Amino acid sequence: MLARAHTFTIEGLQTRHVTVEVDIRQGLPAFSIVGLAGAAVREARERVAAAILNSGFEFPGRRITANLAPGDVPKAGPGLDLALACAVLAASNQIPREHLQSHALFGELALDGGVRACKGTLAVAQATRDAGLGVLMLAPARAHEAALVEDLDVVVVERLRSAASVLGGADGDPLPRSMLRKQDRPRAVEPDLSDVRGQHHAVRSLVIAAAGGHNSLLSGSPGTGKTMLAQRIASILPSLSRPEAIEVTRIHSIAGGSEGELASARPFRAPHHSVTTAGLVGGAQRGWVGEVVLAHNGVLFLDELSEFARPALEALRQPLEEGRVAIVRARHAALYPARFMLVAATNPCPCGYAGNGERCRCSETALARHRRRLSGPLLDRIDLLTQLGHDGAHDLAAASLTSSERARARVTEARERQAARMREDGVAVNAHMDVPMLQKYARLEERGERMLRDATRSGLLSARGQHRVLRVARTIADLNGSDRVRTRDVGSALALRPDIGLADSRAA
Amino acid sequence: MRACGDCLRRSWLLERLSARLDYASHDRARLIELLALADEELIAAVAGRHREALGKEWKRFEPFVAPAEDVQALCRHDGDYPSSLASDGAPHMLHVAGRSERLTELARAPIVAIVGTGRATDYGMEITKSLARGLAASGITVVSELVDGIAVAAHAGALEVEGGTIAVMSGGLEGGCAARWRGLYRRVRARGCAVAELPSASPARRWGRTASRRIVAELAELTIVVEADENPGELLGATLAHSLGRTVAAVPGRVTSPVSTGTHRLLMDGAALVRRPEDVLELLGRAASPASRDPTHETDGPAAFARLEPRLRRTLEAVGAGRDTAAKLMTDETDAGETLLALSELELMGLLARGDGGRYVPRQSAVSGRGGA
Repeated sequence: MLARAHTFTIEGLQTRHVTVEVDIRQGLPAFSIVGLAGAAVREARERVAAAILNSGFEFPGRRITANLAPGDVPKAGPGLDLALACAVLAASNQIPREHLQSHALFGELALDGGVRACKGTLAVAQATRDAGLGVLMLAPARAHEAALVEDLDVVVVERLRSAASVLGGADGDPLPRSMLRKQDRPRAVEPDLSDVRGQHHAVRSLVIAAAGGHNSLLSGSPGTGKTMLAQRIASILPSLSRPEAIEVTRIHSIAGGSEGELASARPFRAPHHSVTTAGLVGGAQRGWVGEVVLAHNGVLFLDELSEFARPALEALRQPLEEGRVAIVRARHAALYPARFMLVAATNPCPCGYAGNGERCRCSETALARHRRRLSGPLLDRIDLLTQLGHDGAHDLAAASLTSSERARARVTEARERQAARMREDGVAVNAHMDVPMLQKYARLEERGERMLRDATRSGLLSARGQHRVLRVARTIADLNGSDRVRTRDVGSALALRPDIGLADSRAA
Repeated sequence: MRACGDCLRRSWLLERLSARLDYASHDRARLIELLALADEELIAAVAGRHREALGKEWKRFEPFVAPAEDVQALCRHDGDYPSSLASDGAPHMLHVAGRSERLTELARAPIVAIVGTGRATDYGMEITKSLARGLAASGITVVSELVDGIAVAAHAGALEVEGGTIAVMSGGLEGGCAARWRGLYRRVRARGCAVAELPSASPARRWGRTASRRIVAELAELTIVVEADENPGELLGATLAHSLGRTVAAVPGRVTSPVSTGTHRLLMDGAALVRRPEDVLELLGRAASPASRDPTHETDGPAAFARLEPRLRRTLEAVGAGRDTAAKLMTDETDAGETLLALSELELMGLLARGDGGRYVPRQSAVSGRGGA
């Protein structure tokens, strides 16, 4: 007796359609699963058997072979349980078979016959629609993820029993109430910029960075609020558009981070500086995604930049440049989206008080080493350097400069300007402008032009540094609602240029 | 080969005894005394139980100089040997990068040493550079070691105006340069000159640090200490110069700055106070003729200051008065762009430099990087 069921397995961010074929025939009682099943799938035998018995069905005491096709795709995770159990029931004639052909089944089984939700529900729902299967049957916990996908019927089942009756032609369990709610929820509560007292200079440059999508570096002594500011960057970025939100939800659903709802806030990832290269960009094992992918459409924050391992930082170059990361390992290759805004923080020197003659205790050698660690290709991709200082005690009592909501409104407006200007170029923010676009969109007045020339001639700026200054100047102009880039914008951009890593800069 | 056999043997002996001298260099005064000893006495003083074997080796030594391109050995019996290196403690032989004529030529001008701490502040670095620029542009030769802090700033400043500068190495000419100063070292060798007591390939030695400071002090007729704390090691250059009867000068700093305590001590003990290159020229008994002055000095002085736009002048004054970060300069919401613009403009004019921690440091004169215009 043979039965087929459809389900999906996830590898990296990709879903693969899996057909579960179950064959039951005479022989010694056995239950074997073939078809590159991972550990969690092999364990499914025990769960499936217990769930079937505890749901009041009969577990066939014969030889059961389950084949997971295609046979060359590794299957991982417990999401195949439901399909396996239903295929066993159908093969032993306990439920009708015809509905199994039009349903995708996705869920883990509990021993008592309950159905549990699995990671990656949104991705599976999208794949179900794309595969032309009209109905997805799953557990209630993450059902609203699946409901985000249009043109797809979602059937919620709480127990294997109800799954069996749906396949027999009955209705599913009622949809969870939250699914009936309106989809667009307000942004989740995030740390707000109004918590920041003083530090007007830093707040202003953060707004510039957010408006143009510029990668930025915060430098300042311990306790000046680098981390506090960085944590608030995500809150001043424009809200996620619906396609972006779905992309983010999909990634985080697969990684297991989402709560089964549409993401409302931009991701903010802050890996500790002990992170490995694989942890940062992915590739530790088949299908593992790194922090850069989890930060897609959001912010990647690297605190204590100089403490990160060099190879890990070097690995950031491709994602920063191309907005995606290609992972190639011995037996698999994958391409993941990774377009994020990089925010890094560092102390100005190992002890943290450089420039403060009375407190800094670092030797010139230690300073040189610190600068060298910061320099290099990564710093080349940072547009903005913000210096934070102790502004004095009065600042803590000062009113906050702005709130996240107000800053976000300015940022959103500036971004709309950029998007409108560069619609034909396929670029959304100033940070991604290439050189021809700079020439087209960042024309300078004569005085600004002269300033840049002087800066290059006196060795303050490299050619690439000049482009970075132009991009930032363009963003400052956008924030001011100006079509022209004024000299003042160039001057401000120049004062924010990063050159902290230029080793020997003090002497030469 | 310009060096005599005895002096070559001395050079060989010093390298041979380097490890022992390193040990002896814990006591700097003792090391200076040791270096003034004759060969046999030196062996007897430091070679310990190996003194006999070493004495034999010393007797058997055959003068030989590995023929190195671009390096000349110059001994104290040579006519070209700098006449200022005349004391007992002066090195017997110097390895000179490039031709010895270059050293002679540089030594013909007055030589001024600019020395100080390895943990210089941005203020110290800027003052050093501006002193070196002014002196080098007036035809004076700058001499210093090639170590972190004030020393490298002195060379860099002199090179900015393409002036003469001598680097005294604490190791050999090829092996004694720290990797991070190799670029600067190359420029010093191209424009000025480098000298070393140890043979070319020798790495920098601990005793060489002290020994090179004595060479710096002996070469120069005037030693300026820009920043130093009260540690005898940091003040060694001044102490040596004083004991040789040379003039010692110091640059004042903030009284709260730990790296200015030593210079303040020197000033209280009677060292000459130096604020700008003109003060040094006066000490040397030379008039600061406008013709010999650094062409980039135009922006220096009250006249240039008065020519600045009022807003730039206000910013420059505020930075000089201690409001030295962008954040401190911004008084209210509206002036952020203006403040940053003023800072950038002043930086481009060479009147401000950006230091560590986002602090701006006033510079005394414009950089030559602006084409000397």
